[in-house]
Amino acid sequence: MSAAATAGTYSPASAAGEKRRERKEELRRHLAEDADWPRADGRSFHDCRPAFMQTGPTTAASGSAYAEFGKTKVIVSVFGPRESKKAMLYSDTGRLNCNVSYTTFATPIRGQGTDNKEYSAMLHKALEGAVMLHTFPKTTVDVFALVLESGGSDLPIIISCASLALADAGIMMYDLVTSVSVSCFGKNIIIDPTSDEEAWQDGSLMVAYMPARKEITQLTLTGEWSDGKITNAVELCMDACSKLCDILRERLKDASSLAE
Amino acid sequence: MESRKPPPSALVDNHVVPGDVVLDLAEMTNQTIKLGAGLRQDCDTIQATSAGRLRLSKPSKYWVESSQKRYIPSVEDTVLGVVVDTKPDNFLVDIKGPNLAFLPVLAFEGGTRRNIPKFEIGTLIYARVVKANSIMNPELSCMDATGKAAEFGQLKDGYMFDTSTGLSRMLLSSPTCPILEALGKKLSFEIAVGLNGRVWVNAPSPSNVIVVSNAIIKSESLSGIGQRSMVESLLERLS
Repeated sequence: MSAAATAGTYSPASAAGEKRRERKEELRRHLAEDADWPRADGRSFHDCRPAFMQTGPTTAASGSAYAEFGKTKVIVSVFGPRESKKAMLYSDTGRLNCNVSYTTFATPIRGQGTDNKEYSAMLHKALEGAVMLHTFPKTTVDVFALVLESGGSDLPIIISCASLALADAGIMMYDLVTSVSVSCFGKNIIIDPTSDEEAWQDGSLMVAYMPARKEITQLTLTGEWSDGKITNAVELCMDACSKLCDILRERLKDASSLAE
Repeated sequence: MESRKPPPSALVDNHVVPGDVVLDLAEMTNQTIKLGAGLRQDCDTIQATSAGRLRLSKPSKYWVESSQKRYIPSVEDTVLGVVVDTKPDNFLVDIKGPNLAFLPVLAFEGGTRRNIPKFEIGTLIYARVVKANSIMNPELSCMDATGKAAEFGQLKDGYMFDTSTGLSRMLLSSPTCPILEALGKKLSFEIAVGLNGRVWVNAPSPSNVIVVSNAIIKSESLSGIGQRSMVESLLERLS
């Protein structure tokens, strides 16, 4: 009786693990053929995931934003400008403090979020070129990003969401920052990869871009790339960033019209 | 040589976001344009640096009007502050800004060393910003420009709540905003609004205070007609 009950018990963890294994095997098979293949979510190589963005989910913060790209869900809260700690020396420019953290349930295996310190530094690098730090001397703006669910391309989504949150907080900015990443699989370049695709990529490229100023604030490159492929990938990212910026603009306009 | 007036930006009274080009200076010659908050000059263009609605004050003053939870101090603003510390020469006051504000002990009507006011920590004060600079702490005063106390000073009793800077501007706008007009016809209450997004309400009965404060908080996302109908429904329930 008990043995039969045990046999019939549904185990979500093992079922999910098997599905993931099947997907990886399928991806490996396609990579060996080096041909076009259908992506797991039905997108073409140059299609981004459906995006949902919203401002003001955190009432206590000066500004906040929530972003959902496919399975990746991120919430960013901005606090300040507020007085820097007494221990800090006087500075005629403001200070941008960025922190990225993962919830324990963000990844399939509990507590396996990416290196937070590295992501925090990269977020800071991507945003500091866009924020007018000289407009708030002696003070600090804190940007706290929390990844609720990690579904791939986490950092680009964090950067775009943080930019939206900063604008919502009324922090002076030269331009909005949007970010997109691409993965390289043999001769193919795919945009906005999922976590399964990131696991098998030959290389990745991430661009943080200010569309109105046509300036790149950060470019991160890993793996093997040829010159021609890098150029194509950067152009693809910049085009996607410009389109993503339109979504950010709409969200900000919706938020300010709602406030009125 | 004739000087033609600058053509107003097509974006006036529309929403702008950081990076939007508001004006192209290449088309204008020998003209003076005043830039307010949320705008900056970049070569031959005027660009927005914050999200909000672009405003134009005749003849040619542009600024971006936005609603935030934080307050950036500006001279001649009236603010509601909370005393957080007392020093021999100053009170340290929280005005929801980047830094604490100084309120000199002599910045009161007839203020001398002999009659220094005694404010405990947590005291609510209605004051005027007299100095505001990004590299200095703001300075407050409880006197108007003529040295009279006017309406400034300590606010006793009542109830204080936080709102956005946009709502506090709306409450102080002229003509009187619909919500205060509708409430004032039926209820008696005192109100002090700070441009820093703080509102103080006092009324003879606690129920009136609750009604007024709730109505103001809810009014932020309502139109004038919506505000009036909300007040009517609130007062129906009260009676």
